[in-house]
Amino acid sequence: MSRTDTPLHLQKTLWITILFSLISVVSWEFFWRSRGRIPDLPDDKFLWAQTRAKVENPDASSVVIIGSSRTLFNLQIPEWQKMTGVKPIQLSTAGGNPIPVLEDIIEHTNYAGTLIVGVTPGIFFSKISKDSRSWSRTQKRIDFYHKRTYADRLNHFLSIPLQNNLAFLTASENEWADDIDLKSLLRATKWGVRTGKENDPPFNSFQYLDIDRNTRMSNRCAHDTAFANTVKRVWQSHNKKAKKSPKDEAVLYVSNLVKKFKDRGGNIVFLRSPSTGFYKEQEAKNQPREEFWDVLLEKTGVKGYHYDDYESLKNFDCPEWSHLSGEDADKFTNAFVTLLLKDNVLPQPQNH
Amino acid sequence: MVFNSLGFIVFFAVILVLYYGPFLGWVNKKRMLLFSSYVFYGLWNPPLIILLWISTMVDWIAGNKIYHETKPNRRKFWLWVSMVVNLGFLAFFKYGNFLLENFISFVNLAGFSYEPLPMNIILPMGISFYTFQTMSYTIDVYQRKLEPARTFLDFALYVTFFPQLVAGPIVRAGDLITQFYEEKKATVDLFIWGLFLLTLGLFEKIVMADTMFSGAADAVFNADKNLNFWDAWAGVLAFSAQIFFDFAGYSTCAIGISYMLGFTLTDNFLYPYGSIGFSEFWRRWHISLSSWLRDYLYIPLGGNRFGLTRMYVALMLTMLLGGLWHGAAWTFVFWGFLHGTYLIIERILKGRFRFEINWWNGLLLAGLTFILVNFTWVFFRAEDFGTAWNIITAMVTGFGEGEKVLGYFDLTKVFVLSGILFLTHYYMRHHTVRMVTSSAGPWITGIVWATMVFLICISHGQGEQFIYFQF
Repeated sequence: MSRTDTPLHLQKTLWITILFSLISVVSWEFFWRSRGRIPDLPDDKFLWAQTRAKVENPDASSVVIIGSSRTLFNLQIPEWQKMTGVKPIQLSTAGGNPIPVLEDIIEHTNYAGTLIVGVTPGIFFSKISKDSRSWSRTQKRIDFYHKRTYADRLNHFLSIPLQNNLAFLTASENEWADDIDLKSLLRATKWGVRTGKENDPPFNSFQYLDIDRNTRMSNRCAHDTAFANTVKRVWQSHNKKAKKSPKDEAVLYVSNLVKKFKDRGGNIVFLRSPSTGFYKEQEAKNQPREEFWDVLLEKTGVKGYHYDDYESLKNFDCPEWSHLSGEDADKFTNAFVTLLLKDNVLPQPQNH
Repeated sequence: MVFNSLGFIVFFAVILVLYYGPFLGWVNKKRMLLFSSYVFYGLWNPPLIILLWISTMVDWIAGNKIYHETKPNRRKFWLWVSMVVNLGFLAFFKYGNFLLENFISFVNLAGFSYEPLPMNIILPMGISFYTFQTMSYTIDVYQRKLEPARTFLDFALYVTFFPQLVAGPIVRAGDLITQFYEEKKATVDLFIWGLFLLTLGLFEKIVMADTMFSGAADAVFNADKNLNFWDAWAGVLAFSAQIFFDFAGYSTCAIGISYMLGFTLTDNFLYPYGSIGFSEFWRRWHISLSSWLRDYLYIPLGGNRFGLTRMYVALMLTMLLGGLWHGAAWTFVFWGFLHGTYLIIERILKGRFRFEINWWNGLLLAGLTFILVNFTWVFFRAEDFGTAWNIITAMVTGFGEGEKVLGYFDLTKVFVLSGILFLTHYYMRHHTVRMVTSSAGPWITGIVWATMVFLICISHGQGEQFIYFQF
């Protein structure tokens, strides 16, 4: 790499490079758009941390949503804002346990507004273990938030317009089977069966996300039964060894946190979103309501909304057993917020 | 800040506008470069800039005092001040936890129960690089090989120059400070060549290290299982390639960026996996560190001036400390020990067997060197000796047994790309990138360059840190 006097025609080389780079990148973008891909933001630690930062300077009417993927999909921020005038802060994490976020907000902020805590039974009532997959999934994001550098913030800020406009920039830290960055394309290439993992069903992305982390199920998942079935196969594969959750462990842990939050004037609500089919059966067997949900409400003294208890929240269909389609999520949000307003859990909106 | 990030593109674009625009004179351009270098570092952790300032101030004062002082004791005093401050930083920030852990183990072994609170010390990015760089300045001035920098600005810029601040090359003062004395401006060709090297370095990091090899290396080293022979070898080969592309990629970026500003940095990697023997390997791998260790450790320890035994002791001590420089763990020390052992055995064998090296037996010997180097990387990458031993066992005896963690495609990818890497390095022993691009002509070079740009764009990682940042 040393400098010599050999002529290299570098200016000509540079023009050729620019030409071929533009042709190849533009062709790649058009190729993926022709395959139905559209620009989308990844649900990653950078966006989560940016959203988490909003909890540091909230006002009294703020609402923070924490939970797993069900609160992410089922509570629609625009609908909520339309009804209450308040844009909630969405901190739910797909596959993540919300308890570490609850702890982080209570221990590391002065937040005393409203907390909506989504309860996905298989995750929320799992063993309290910082090594568990669902706990560490959330904890990693919290750790990143507290350690993120100014360079991280700058890079994320600059990446947003690119990700909002280029379809080929859609890699996700969830490592979906249909991600299209080079690493994912290579990972998806399988030659025969060697490790056994090749037999796992492919887990394709079934959502779109915006800058506020508002997440909607893709139309494909909502309306294409064959596609929804691929997601169902993943749920079955993930839960084939699911067993009964330990009683009281999570409830006891959460009770102490809730007490501290209520003591400083915080308002907290639990939400159990709908599930159907395989998930409904699994949850009834492994986390029966009377042993878990009811005990949680009793021990914490917190108001809870179980979809089965309200006419307006039940009878929703989950295309892949666990989440609502975009249209149903709007309706569910509307029904849930109506209940919160009726019960004076949320302050009545000024302009409604 | 890392080179493989959008933030760096904007940061560097602003610097180029200020550097080549008609706004600033040379002194102000240097001030701008200095300020930018602090921003580059501070975007990671602003308070740790203070360490850089302290190191800069101490060595600036020490260098001047040593140069102007005539009394040997006073000169030696200022040299000690520099050494104590720089090595003290290293000892506290890099080795503090390690020393404490070993102290606890020792005390517990002696039968005393002692469990202090963990110190939770942050390792400042690049501390091993800039402390070695500033120490070389003071030592060179002490040995009267170098005059002190003309101005504090020149010296501060030498310590902080952002292309090489956090991961080298460890540039000697004599090679860089003097470049700051006269106004520098890249010619159009040098600028384009620097841009080519920057692209090549990013390609090495983003595409080769992070995309092609890191997955297989992580899968094997994190497996915590008794592995199959093929998986163990694939994981180790993948890590060999990953660490080369990661670190050489950083150095190539640093050299390219410097060219774009009109400065020259020394080569840090010259196709090390094509080396015939370990002496040659260390003349090609992390050249700025190995030459630093040679000049400031091996030679002062006696080098080859006091007989064979003393030379072997000096060599082994140098490699052990070189291992420790890379990380505060006994696995790194053992990595250094293996390299020291290889070097000593090679010197013994060289004295007994003499033969002509041709292309074919050279290839065989280079292959043998590459294989032996791979064994050392196991200890470099493994979290502990248990993991390392599991992998070594699988590499030697695991044929047909053990857990399979990589699919057929990943195995093939790693073996084929590692083979290409080795053969390319062997071919490039007597060539340079410039020679190859010159003979390829503008069309082929342009298409290869565009392919690298394309692959970088479609890889678009999340700005993974360079491995050597932690050293």
